[in-house]
Amino acid sequence: MSERTVSILKEVGNPNKARIIAHLAKHRGENAEDLGKHLGYPLPTVYKYLRELEVARVVRSEVRDKTRLYYASDFKLEVSPKRLMDMFEEQSILSLYKTRFGDDGMKRLGEVAEKVNAGKMTYRQAASTLGISYYEFVSLLDETGAIQ
Amino acid sequence: MSKKLIIDSSVLIVLGRKGELEEYLKKRKKEGYEILIPKAISRELTEEPRKLATEIKKRSPLLAGSITQSIEAIDAAIDDGLIKVVTVNYRKHSGVIDNVRKYLSQLEAKPEHAIKKGDPELVALVIQLYDKFEEKIFISTQDKGLLRALKSFSTVVEYEALAY
Repeated sequence: MSERTVSILKEVGNPNKARIIAHLAKHRGENAEDLGKHLGYPLPTVYKYLRELEVARVVRSEVRDKTRLYYASDFKLEVSPKRLMDMFEEQSILSLYKTRFGDDGMKRLGEVAEKVNAGKMTYRQAASTLGISYYEFVSLLDETGAIQ
Repeated sequence: MSKKLIIDSSVLIVLGRKGELEEYLKKRKKEGYEILIPKAISRELTEEPRKLATEIKKRSPLLAGSITQSIEAIDAAIDDGLIKVVTVNYRKHSGVIDNVRKYLSQLEAKPEHAIKKGDPELVALVIQLYDKFEEKIFISTQDKGLLRALKSFSTVVEYEALAY
């Protein structure tokens, strides 16, 4: 799944942001203040959303007569079980770890998690033993439900 | 005066992954805690995951994005003053740091220099804050090994481990 698809999914997954896109698709070229009034969102929230929507390239803007106007960009999104499967399979530190270290690595992880839960080793020592970062180790414990 | 609460990276990472970090920190602040972390921990929470996100960005953009989001949540919490990063006085607490290193190296049969900075800095910070404020220090961690290391200093410091 491409980075762009992921960005779009993330933005349209927020109903408030999706409403902004829908509104801009109907009322082309609206400024942030009017957008806030029409949708009933506070102005700082509108600016925050617009900034994020522009980063994801689902909204674009231009300055006309000293006023920044916003437009919905054209995009198409296809969601299917296969695409979602791809997306969620890659969204785990565990799958990264498995790819990198294989079954032996999983076995080592189990042994180390046991020691950690018994207080015989700190998380930092465990991460260092497995050759991964502390962030990865804590995420692995979280994903496998091994945190006690 | 606010109660001093040191939060270990494990707690902050798990909360960040769940998107509950800001809410948790605000709740603790409301309860009268000042939340502190040592410098070594701030590096674990930002530099290491940032490097990981960069490495995996091409093949796992979604995962990289969620890691980046959790880094941003930590950065924001530090910028907003919800978390204060404290420098450990190595000169003053070198004895504590050496003892923690020794204790941990015995656990794992590894040379002392191979012990990561986070554990000794955390224990040293508990002692540093206790010395300065002369009141019970609170610590929140999921790491039982770290709590064991801290326990060996329980005669010189009053602390309480908080569940998160």
